[in-house]
Amino acid sequence: MHHMMLDHFANRSTPAHRLDPAAKTVAILAVVLATVLVGRDRFLPLVPVAAALAAYHAVSRTPVRYALRRLAVVSPLAVAVVVLFPFLEPGRVVIRWPVGGAEIVVTEEGLVRAGHLLAKFVLCSWAALLLLATTRFQDLMQGLARLRVPRVLVTQLAFLYRYLWVVMDEGMHMRMARAARDGGLGPWRLRFRSRAGVVGVLFLRSWDRAERIYRAMTARGFDGTLHAPRRGRMRVADWLFVTCTVALAAAVVVGDHLAHA
Amino acid sequence: MPEPVLELADVRYRYPTGAEALRGVTFAVQPGEHVALAGPNGAGKSTLVLAMAGFVSAAGTIRVAGHTLTPGSARDVRRHLGLVFQDADDQLFMPRVADDVAFGPATMGLEPEEVRARVGEALAAVGLEGYEDREPYHLSVGEKRRAALATVLAMRPQILVLDEPSADLDPRGRRMLIDLLRPMTSTLMVITHDLDLVVETCRRVVVLDAGAVVADGPVREVLSDRALVEAHGLEVPLRLAQGAPDMQGT
Repeated sequence: MHHMMLDHFANRSTPAHRLDPAAKTVAILAVVLATVLVGRDRFLPLVPVAAALAAYHAVSRTPVRYALRRLAVVSPLAVAVVVLFPFLEPGRVVIRWPVGGAEIVVTEEGLVRAGHLLAKFVLCSWAALLLLATTRFQDLMQGLARLRVPRVLVTQLAFLYRYLWVVMDEGMHMRMARAARDGGLGPWRLRFRSRAGVVGVLFLRSWDRAERIYRAMTARGFDGTLHAPRRGRMRVADWLFVTCTVALAAAVVVGDHLAHA
Repeated sequence: MPEPVLELADVRYRYPTGAEALRGVTFAVQPGEHVALAGPNGAGKSTLVLAMAGFVSAAGTIRVAGHTLTPGSARDVRRHLGLVFQDADDQLFMPRVADDVAFGPATMGLEPEEVRARVGEALAAVGLEGYEDREPYHLSVGEKRRAALATVLAMRPQILVLDEPSADLDPRGRRMLIDLLRPMTSTLMVITHDLDLVVETCRRVVVLDAGAVVADGPVREVLSDRALVEAHGLEVPLRLAQGAPDMQGT
């Protein structure tokens, strides 16, 4: 089966794609950190961050629709939190909404706070999705390994990514097999039970597969350490990119802090 | 006579549930031989393979390239016994094809130069030159099967053991596999119930049923014995059947 891979656009070749994965990871982390550190309710320091991301986005020629779709996928959690702020934050009331005996109020401070959080969320997600859109997952793993992220963690991530699709395939096949027989109809209790069954079988199958994979690894001499060759080296362009991005991030944080000290 | 690459003597195994899976299996494989291990589902073929690699501890004696299998020697034995599992997705666990092929040699502690050379050599041997940077997930079933074979070839084992190599392959993929296995000079053991594959790739067949060897001899002789193969849940392969009935009527 065909899935929209997480790194679907990562096989292109633009200056953004050609940058070293370790360099990109550090740069993106710096941008995210700076965004998070901007003081509450202040929008101005976020402008240069957005500009930098927009520039990177343009260079990488990542389709805007794709970016928006990715953003939509991760947004429910953030939105659920953000929508509460206008109602909970005390301050100057802009909207009154009588409901029965009580009253629902929306405050200006609440709206500002919600907008600010939403902006930060969008910027951070944008940064992360741009990293994934311009870096193949395997290269990203190499980058993380070179950044001395513990090997176990990198291995876990690599395995997760490698087998996520296999498990998804299995799940989709089972779902189709079930739908082919019940047509998505039938009493909801039965449907719920069959769905739970699919999840259970999927779990058992994954368990079996994990065992088989381990056996296949052991058959080739695996003794607990993964000897993956390290590839890639930082070039001048990569250093330049990291330096500029980190400098920008630092400027944002320091500038924001000084302006409101 | 040279020393056999693989020697099994009275190999027995009982499942934890008490059922007997292997009931005294004895045979040997000589260097350069292409041997098929055939038998119906549940005959004990896969259990025997797991026993040969020390994944289940069976009673009896198992020797691979002169090393007697004991719990302590399992690692050495596996170096010489190249196991290609049935589901290539289990075998290809690294993010890149080249890294996967390099996994065995690197784990053996070879120098990076040597590892690289072996990766190139193994990929060329299975016709996957230029696949180094591909991701296993994106390969076709046939390509995955060949890549899985390369991961084991790169370790230069004394004997290659392939579990159901033709399962899930379309005719073209199956043909490529046969063309790959047939001229191999290395010692080969194919575990399958695809008997036409056996006819095309092996000279000798060991038939296993209910955990015991029921026939061991030249492929042509054993597999054209209709009474024998049908008694053990198999069929005379089409390539050997005379006037075999087909779906065209006459």
